[in-house]
Amino acid sequence: MKKLFVLLMSSIVLVSCNNSQKSSEDSTETKAVSTQSVRIKGSETVLPISEKAVQVYLKDHEGANLMVTGGGSGVGISSLLNKSTDIAQTSRKIKFSEKQKIEADGRNLKEVIIAYDALAVIVHPENKVNNLTREQLEDIFTGKIKNWSELGGDDLEILPYSRETSSGTYEFFKDNVMSGKNYASGIMSMPANGSIIQSVGQTKGAISYVGVAYINQSVQPVSVSFDQGETFVAPTAENVKNESYPIVRPLYYYYLVTPEQPEKEFMDFILSDEGQKIVEEVGYISIR
Amino acid sequence: MHKQKIHRRILDKITEKLLTLSGALTSIIIVFISVFLFTEGIGLFNTPDIEEGYALYVNSENRIDNLSPEETKQIFDAEVTSWKAFGGEDVAINVFRLDAIFNFYSENELGENYELLPEKLGEVISREKGIIAFLPNEYAPQGLQVRKLETATVTLEDYFLGTDWIPTATPAPLFGVLPLVLGTLLVSFGAMIIALPLGLGVAIYLSELAGNRERKLMKPLVELLAGIPSVVYGFFGLVIVAPLVQKAFNLPVGETALTGSIILAIMALPTIISVAEDAMRNTPLGMREASLALGATKWQTIYKVVIPYAKSGISAAIVLGIGRAIGETMAVLMVTGNAAVMPTSFFESVRTIPATIAAELGEAPAGGAHYQALFLLGAILFVFTLIISVSAELISKKRHS
Amino acid sequence: MNKKVSQNIAFFIFKFFGVLVIGILFSIIGFIGYNGIQVISWEFLTEFPKEGMTSGGIFPAIVGTFYLVVGSLIFAFPLGVMSAIYTTEYAGKGWIVRIIRIMTNNLASIPSIVFGLFGMALFVNKLNFGDSILAGSLTLGLLVLPLIIRTSEEALLAVPQSYREGSLALGATKLQTIRRIVLPAAFGNIITGLILSIGRVSGETAPILFTVAAYFLPKLPSGIFDQAMALPYHLYVLATSGTDLEASRPMAYGTALVLILIVLIMNLIASFFRKKL
Repeated sequence: MKKLFVLLMSSIVLVSCNNSQKSSEDSTETKAVSTQSVRIKGSETVLPISEKAVQVYLKDHEGANLMVTGGGSGVGISSLLNKSTDIAQTSRKIKFSEKQKIEADGRNLKEVIIAYDALAVIVHPENKVNNLTREQLEDIFTGKIKNWSELGGDDLEILPYSRETSSGTYEFFKDNVMSGKNYASGIMSMPANGSIIQSVGQTKGAISYVGVAYINQSVQPVSVSFDQGETFVAPTAENVKNESYPIVRPLYYYYLVTPEQPEKEFMDFILSDEGQKIVEEVGYISIR
Repeated sequence: MHKQKIHRRILDKITEKLLTLSGALTSIIIVFISVFLFTEGIGLFNTPDIEEGYALYVNSENRIDNLSPEETKQIFDAEVTSWKAFGGEDVAINVFRLDAIFNFYSENELGENYELLPEKLGEVISREKGIIAFLPNEYAPQGLQVRKLETATVTLEDYFLGTDWIPTATPAPLFGVLPLVLGTLLVSFGAMIIALPLGLGVAIYLSELAGNRERKLMKPLVELLAGIPSVVYGFFGLVIVAPLVQKAFNLPVGETALTGSIILAIMALPTIISVAEDAMRNTPLGMREASLALGATKWQTIYKVVIPYAKSGISAAIVLGIGRAIGETMAVLMVTGNAAVMPTSFFESVRTIPATIAAELGEAPAGGAHYQALFLLGAILFVFTLIISVSAELISKKRHS
Repeated sequence: MNKKVSQNIAFFIFKFFGVLVIGILFSIIGFIGYNGIQVISWEFLTEFPKEGMTSGGIFPAIVGTFYLVVGSLIFAFPLGVMSAIYTTEYAGKGWIVRIIRIMTNNLASIPSIVFGLFGMALFVNKLNFGDSILAGSLTLGLLVLPLIIRTSEEALLAVPQSYREGSLALGATKLQTIRRIVLPAAFGNIITGLILSIGRVSGETAPILFTVAAYFLPKLPSGIFDQAMALPYHLYVLATSGTDLEASRPMAYGTALVLILIVLIMNLIASFFRKKL
C-alpha cells in the first residue's frame, strides 16, 4: 500500500515538475520573441470573431500569448476595471455608470467598433408568417399579440423566446425594435444563441432573434419592415451590406489607453483587411 | 539525543495545534461564505431604485412626488398613458429619453461638448406639461419649471414580495424574487414527486429483495448515475427530454417545469436510493424474523416493520434529495426555459434561483444593484440549503436516540 | 391468497422501478456513448479546437481539467485528511464533534453555484487573483472538502481500536500512533475518497464559470495565474454557443463522452481500491 502511495505522489510531483519546467521554458521563449500577452474577455456574441482572429493571428506571431474568455459584456467591462483583462469585447455600448467608474481615476477608455452584427428574427420553418413589421414585433415581444392567427398565420399560440435578460443582444433588441419597452414578463429566456436555435427549431409557435451568423436550416428567418409595412427586407448578406436591413448593431472592443499598449498589435490586426476578412468568414459584417 | 527529543515534542505540539485548527475549518468556511454573500448583497437596499447615474424629471406643475418602480415601468412601457392613474391631473403622459432631444434641436445647437444640453433639456421639460424625462445626472436639466422626482431605495418588500424579476428594465429595474423562489420550489417539488416512489422502490428492492449478486451489480451503477456531470444531464434534457415532453403532453413548448423536474429527479435518485437503502438495511434481523414467524408475508414485513423502523432514515433521504434538487444549476438552466413568471403549472416554463445566478452574473455590472440582487439570491439559496441540511441532521439524529 | 397477490404486485413494481432506473442510466450513457464514440480519436484528444470549434479536438480542455483537479486536491486533500484526523482521533465524542460534523454536512449541501459566487467575490475580486487556475482550484477545493473529510473519517473510524491501544501500550505517542499505525491502515479507503473527488471536480461547471473557465485559449496555461479551459464548461459552450450548432454537435457528444469516461474510470479505480482492503 505504502509503495503505491509513494508511486502516486512521486508521479504527481513529477508531472507538476514537468509542467513548471515546460512553463519556464515557455516564458523565456515568449520573452525572446515578444512580451505580448493579451487577454480578451466579454460578450458571447463577439467570441467567435475573437476566437478565430486569435487563431489566425498566432500563425504570424508565435510568441504572443492571447486568451479569449466569455462571461458576458458586463464581466468584460468590470474586468477592465479591475485590470483582469486587456480588451473587453461587448455587444452593447458601455453603460453610463460603467464608463464613469472606469474613468473616475483618470484612466482613458478607448472604444473601437470591430464589426457589425445583423439580428435576424426567426420562426419555426413550418410557420406561414414571413413578413413582420416593427410594430408587430413590438406587440409580440411585449405580449400584446398572442396568437399567430392575428398575423395571418395558423391558430397557434405565439411563444416568444429571448436571450438572457442581461445579454447585450436582449438590450439591443429592446431599445431598437421594441422602442425601449420592456419584454412581457412571461417571456422565456435562453442562455445562449445555440439554445435559441435549438428551441425555435423544435417549437412550432416559437419566435426569437439571433445574430445572422447563427442561422441554420432548422429555423426560418423573417423579413422585417421598419416603415409601417411598405417594404419588407430579408436578413440576407446582400441586404445587410447595402444597408437596407434595419436591425444591425455594432460590436465593440474597449481598452484602456496605457503607455505599454499590449493590445495595439492585435487591434491593428483585427482592423486590417485580413482581420476584417475573418469577421466576414465567421458570419458577421465587416466595418468597411 | 536529548535535543532531538525536544525538537520532536515541539513538532508534535505544532502538529496537534494544526490538526485542531483544521477541525474547525469547515465551520470557518461556512461563516466566511455567509458573511461574504450578505455583505456583497446587502448594499442593494441602499441603492436607488432608478438606474444608477440617472434620475427622473417632470414639469413642476405635475403634482406627482414619487413613483414606485412598478409605476415607473408602466409609464415607460406605455401601459399607463395619463397622469390621472397616479392621482395627477388628466394630462397625457409624454415619455422622454435623452436621444429624443435631437427631435427638437440639432447637434450644433447643443454646443461642442453638449454644454448647452442641460439648458435645452430644461426648456423642453418646461414646455411640456405631461412630460417625464429619464436623464443622466451629468446632464441634469436646468430651468425653473423642472422638478426632479425623489428617488427611493429598493425596499425589502420590493425584493422579497415583488412578483416581477426584470433586473435590466429601464429606468427602474424590478427585483422581485418571488417568482424565482416559487419556481425553484415548484421544480424541486415536482422532482420529488417523480423521484420518491422510484427511489424508495429501488431502495426496497435493493435492501430486501435483490440477491447479493444483483445488489453488487446495481449499486455501482446507481453511483455512476450520481457521477455524471450536470452539464451532461442538461445536454441530454435539451436534446431528448424536452422534445419528448412536448410531444407526450402535446404542449406548445418542451422547456417546462416538468422537463426540469424529470431531469432533477434522475439526478436526485442516487442520493435517495443510497440513504434510504442504508436505513432499511439497518433494520435488525430479529425484528424481521419475528414478523415472519408470526405469519406475515415478506411484503407485510417490509411495510409494517422495515419501513416504520427506517422512517427517519427515509425522511432524511427525502430531505437530502430536495437539497440536491434545489441547488442544481446547469442542467436546469438548459431545460426549463427560464421565464421569470409566477409559476402556475408544471407545463409552463419557470426560472429557478441557481439558473438566474448562472445566467445573469456574467452580464451584471460589478457592484451595481443587479449584481447585489444576485448575491442576495445566493444568500437565499444558502439559507434554504442550510435549513434543509440541518433538518436532515435533526431527523437522522432522532433515529439514533 | 390475497396477501400473496398484493405481495407479488408490490414486488413486481419494485423490480420494475429498479429496471427503469438502470434503463434511464443506460439510455443516457448509450445516447452519449453512441454519438460520442464516432468522434473520439487520437486527434480529438490531442488537438486544439479548430474552425470555430467545429473540428479539431479538446486537448486544452482536458489539460485544464487536469490542472484544476491537481490544484484543488493539493489544497483540499491534506486539509480534509487533517480535519478528519482531528475529529476521529482528538475531539472525542462531545458536542464539538457534533458541531463539526453538522458543519461538514452543511458545507456538503451548499449548491455549487453558491461556491461560484463566493469564489468570484473572494478569490477573483477581493484577493485579486483574477480569473485564474488558482482561484478556480481554491473554489473547487472548498467544494470537495466535505467529501474528502467524510470519506477520510469513515476510513479512520474503520481502523480497529485495538491497533491504537497496542501502539500506545508499546509506548508510542499519540501522533506516532496516528502516523505509523492508523494512517497506513486507513490509507486505502482515504485514497478511495481522493479518487471519487477527482470525478466530482472534473464534472463541476457552476463553480468555475466565474472563476477560471476560458472560452478559448490558443495555448496551454503556463502558470497558476493563467486561465484554463475545462471539460464541463467546454461542453456547455459546445452545446449552447458557437455559430454553427450543427457542426459543433459531434464535438459536444465527444466531450460529454470523455467526461463520463473520466467519472466511470475513477469509480472503477475506487471500487478496486475498496475491494483490495
